Amino acid sequence: MERVLSKITEVTSDPYAYVTGLKERTGKKVIGCFPMYVPEEIVHAADLIPVVIWRGNESVTWGHAHVPPYDCGITRSFVDDAVRGKLNFMDGMVFHVRQCLQVGEFPLIIERNVKPAYQKVLYLPPIYEGEAVRSFLLDDLESFKTSLEDFTGKKISDDSLKKSIEIYNENRSLLERVYEIRREKPGILRAREVMQTVWSSMLMLKEDHNELLKELIKDMEGKTVESKGERVKVIPVGCLCQTLQFDILDMIEDLGMIITDDDLYVGSRYFANKANLNGSPIEALADRYLTKTPLCPTKGVWDIHWGDEAIKKMRDNNAKGIISIRVKYCPPHTCYYPDFKSKMVEEGVPEVMIEMEHEIMSLEGIKTRLQSFAETIGGV
Amino acid sequence: MAIVVGVDVGSLCTKTVILDGDGGILSYDIMRSGHYYKGAADESIESALKSAGLKKSDVSYILGTGYGRGAVAEADAEVTEITCHARGAARLFPEVHTVIDIGGQDSKVIGIGDNGRVINFVMNDKCAAGTGRFLEVMALALSVDIGEMGDLFFASKEKVEVSSMCTVFAESEVISLFAQGHKKADIAAGIAHAIARRIVGMVGQVGLREKVVMSGGVAKNSGVVRAIEERIETRLLVPREPQIVGALGAAIIASERMSATIG
Repeated sequence: MERVLSKITEVTSDPYAYVTGLKERTGKKVIGCFPMYVPEEIVHAADLIPVVIWRGNESVTWGHAHVPPYDCGITRSFVDDAVRGKLNFMDGMVFHVRQCLQVGEFPLIIERNVKPAYQKVLYLPPIYEGEAVRSFLLDDLESFKTSLEDFTGKKISDDSLKKSIEIYNENRSLLERVYEIRREKPGILRAREVMQTVWSSMLMLKEDHNELLKELIKDMEGKTVESKGERVKVIPVGCLCQTLQFDILDMIEDLGMIITDDDLYVGSRYFANKANLNGSPIEALADRYLTKTPLCPTKGVWDIHWGDEAIKKMRDNNAKGIISIRVKYCPPHTCYYPDFKSKMVEEGVPEVMIEMEHEIMSLEGIKTRLQSFAETIGGV
Repeated sequence: MAIVVGVDVGSLCTKTVILDGDGGILSYDIMRSGHYYKGAADESIESALKSAGLKKSDVSYILGTGYGRGAVAEADAEVTEITCHARGAARLFPEVHTVIDIGGQDSKVIGIGDNGRVINFVMNDKCAAGTGRFLEVMALALSVDIGEMGDLFFASKEKVEVSSMCTVFAESEVISLFAQGHKKADIAAGIAHAIARRIVGMVGQVGLREKVVMSGGVAKNSGVVRAIEERIETRLLVPREPQIVGALGAAIIASERMSATIG
């Protein structure tokens, strides 16, 4: 297990260097895909390397000239990286501008300051129901495919897209298995290691990642875990679009709680639901998007409540509480949160909200909140 | 007789409470934390032991709490101040369901169940505005002793708005209000109302359920207490010594753990 974890740590500790090296090694072009909903499979089928854009770990500098300080961490960090030339290894970028207002700022900023060889804007619908929505989405995905064909000068055949979807589906199944083993053997991996495992999937060639996951799963299946006594199970929820600071995950576990599942983007959300390959591959991707759960504050079906989904996950895991991780200046999550909180109160579910920032982190304050929460659900 | 000690190492003050085997308070101590929390904890324990006529060897269990809870070198365990304030307030006022605690650098509102256990809570996260430190800075700006701030509130005749809740900006605002000719008492009342506004927002998040206890050093400022009461339209129960509620809660938990051990 050490070999795989060491590889995963290498990839995620310096994603800039890893992806640059990957590009040199394969001779393929790299396309940065904004997190959450861009269908990477189409990029993969175009024989390009899709990587999910990430939040860097440096303070924002020049980026402040382009985005306001009240934008979220990944927005500011990405723009900062881009205008400082740290993302020059990316040959193209894809944004989904209906995700939030802040992403809507990107196309112009990138066009003016970075000028990648390829840039595409997607308008994936925020509401999932109705034939008009599906039709609009299919047009958007077809346009995405055509733009990539124009960029590479090569057609993307249905067969190659199907093959890419199969590779991605396999990755989803393997990540599901990692989560399943973690549920069976709580503590087999630290929460940070699980998050790094998912994050590395966003950065590596999926074929390579699948092989890595197979090795990890084999190791996990063969390993026994010594019980560390009674530890209360909790489910972290939220942290949309970006990686959570690993310190917070460590803190949760060091305070005597244990994470057996999550509802985080760099977590279970990334591999939720496979595309069903019975018909046209583009339709398979569209239908995956439209039936994709869990929902997020910018997408969904009216009568499904995010709070219900989170509570179900908590109960399925026999967990005692929910830790909401809200990214500071994430308007969608901020606007949804009161409704989410009301649901927790209504259902009597213990929940605590931790706000995460890009630069400033008052870890002692967060520790007090988390420890108090652990004491509350642990009966102190 | 199992003697237990609760030590609350706060950002401004360290408090110690010693309980006897029946849960009665034998002594307590309050002192400034300074910059060396470990030393403050040791000194405060020593002082409380001396007041009670006890030695360290008489103590069966020490429980640390507060911002510097990890610095209590001789602690058998540590529990957060949120849990401890709830437990301490419930001992003093068994009918309590909400605690407002404003300490040196943070403020908390805690919802409590019928058994004295925490149900939910909120605490300020990044800014110390509206806390004990904030009041100290404001007292300096007004050139009054911090102990006089409460009395000044009641001498106020004219309503003055202190809008900013940032300690640094509020200090500048106070200086501007002076320059505009406003009186000390009116500015002091404005400051108390500014703190109350901030707390009321937190009370709203937790949900107000009577009875409401106010703990922490700022509860000694009768002006702030009154300003909060006016806004939440509820009488606040203030212990005779509001600063030791967290340490008392820590001692109570220590006592429970001792009982569980003895069986």
